[in-house]
Amino acid sequence: MTMYPQRVLEIASGIREMKIRGAGRIARAAADALRVAALEYSGERDLVAFKKYMVSVGELLISTRPTAVSLPNAVIYVLSSLRSARSFSEARESVVEQAEKFISESEEATKRISQIGARRVKENSTILTHCHSSTAVRVITEAYKQGRVVKVYSTETRPAYQGRITFTYLSRSGVPVVQIPDSAVRYVINEVDYVIVGADTVASNGAVVNKIGTSQVALAAKEARTRVYVVAESYKFSPLTLIGELVTIEYRSPEEVVPREWLEKHPRVKVLNPVFDVTPPEYIDAIITEHGVIPPQAAVLILIEKLGWVLDTLESSEGRLDLNRIVAL
Amino acid sequence: MVMSKHRGSDAVSFRLTGSELAFSVLDKLYSLASRSSERDLVKYILELKETIMSERPASMAALNMLRQVGLYILRHGFSGVDRYILELKEKYKNALERAAEVLSRRVTGGETLLTNSNSLAVRRVLEHLAKQGKTIKLYITESRPGNEGLLLAEYAESLGFEVYLIVDSAARFFMKNVDKVVVGAEAVASNGAVVSKVGTSLIALVAKEARKRVFVVAPTAKFSPETLHGELLKLPEYDWRKLVSEEEASKLPENYVARVPLYDVTPPEYIDAIATEYGLFAPQALPLVLNLIEKSEYVLSKPLEDVIAGLRTLVEGGSV
Repeated sequence: MTMYPQRVLEIASGIREMKIRGAGRIARAAADALRVAALEYSGERDLVAFKKYMVSVGELLISTRPTAVSLPNAVIYVLSSLRSARSFSEARESVVEQAEKFISESEEATKRISQIGARRVKENSTILTHCHSSTAVRVITEAYKQGRVVKVYSTETRPAYQGRITFTYLSRSGVPVVQIPDSAVRYVINEVDYVIVGADTVASNGAVVNKIGTSQVALAAKEARTRVYVVAESYKFSPLTLIGELVTIEYRSPEEVVPREWLEKHPRVKVLNPVFDVTPPEYIDAIITEHGVIPPQAAVLILIEKLGWVLDTLESSEGRLDLNRIVAL
Repeated sequence: MVMSKHRGSDAVSFRLTGSELAFSVLDKLYSLASRSSERDLVKYILELKETIMSERPASMAALNMLRQVGLYILRHGFSGVDRYILELKEKYKNALERAAEVLSRRVTGGETLLTNSNSLAVRRVLEHLAKQGKTIKLYITESRPGNEGLLLAEYAESLGFEVYLIVDSAARFFMKNVDKVVVGAEAVASNGAVVSKVGTSLIALVAKEARKRVFVVAPTAKFSPETLHGELLKLPEYDWRKLVSEEEASKLPENYVARVPLYDVTPPEYIDAIATEYGLFAPQALPLVLNLIEKSEYVLSKPLEDVIAGLRTLVEGGSV
């Protein structure tokens, strides 16, 4: 059995147990884990052995959360540097370099999205956001700094109350924010000018997989003719969906919803706790990426431009993500 | 806190459903009518009306009960008022039962229902379904704020149904598995709009999108005659501080501010039918139907404000 550096195992369990959360942070943590794994590699100084080791680290990381596409995308991005490596030391260096590049590019992408997104917000706007997306928070904060935001509604986001994190970040930047229960979205939506939410995964048809509840927020917004913007870095776009793969929706423990004692007292009540839902592209006015504002149906453009070569490897491995092919093993 | 200023405070808790509140009002009135002075009874009605209007202004059944008792006193004096209150209670109990039975007939065994909160009328529907031996599956949203969905889940479990508890945000996710949505009501307005636990209108919208039928169980006592005269129903918002325990409060962000509406309005076009004690109607037809039914005192009644003014004159004029 391969031995992994302690730090790599910590990051993997941090992602699994949702201590590291948010698609961007998960992706950067995964890139960082690959960097650490490369630096602390103590096995045979051989190119093939190193590639195999990196593939197994990549697989370990990908297995931690099934839905968030940023995770495999980050792994693909970092490991792809191994394709052209000719020696062990070149391979190790290129992984470290590529991981650092991913981390800085992804941070740059978020910054760019906050600038583009803020431009889409008119003066005196009220914004509603669901869950906690650090990109959405940055867009809203940027728009607020430009004097365009008068009020933000943040949903509490059961079961884990990520809305409280959103509340904290926005209120620290001085943004006037009010928390509402998830059930009150339609009650306030007439006051809202824009819904701005993040994304965990963008499918090739422009459907957006995001925190459970996003799709009904978008539906309520559409009913009220309130615009819905999804902010998503290009690493949120899923190459697998282009070849027909369905996005797996993860169910988490019932204990996130009700206490264990309640569950034990009511053994015949099943508590279902899906983490994500799918918002169809027709409920989304635009997806804001670091490459610009696109209609959701044009998601495929981002996929082809950023991940075109991955699509070729996917085709040749029968639609499965095969990291061996990514690293040209 | 408004509640503590009024003697009626113990009777008006946001934890009570609309129907439970109506019953608690009738019980309190009965005990005063049978034991206290006429003056105390009238003063209590006046106070209770203020309390309900400030804490639960959309709870129509309770307001209609006050109106009916007040009207009786204005028309017939105090003799027999205790008996009349008992009659009202019995009638409301039967109306609830009948409305639930009407709705239960619309549910076929093997179907999957979705509901929210912990409506007494919906509990009655479930009892009828259990009695009829229909096996159903039930999705219940936890229904924040308040989490009354947990109480309904416990009850539905005790009746032997297959129960799925979900967060409010998951209504759209599971709607494709659902055959019918069944909810209770706090009030029904003259255009057929239904005031119910907050989140109901979102569930109804999601159901409409998925082409699932939405049924409301509401005895006619939930109808608001004031809305016929253009009056708007007032929707109370709750102070969030009263909803969180100290332990929870310590986990909240600094400078926390929240808006906590308790009810929302579902437009009539998202409702397929309202089940009442007189049968199942399109929501838009309800005022018409009530006018046609001789016994529909709620529609033909005087505005509550007139009744209250009449009672106030009694107290101020020293006639009680």
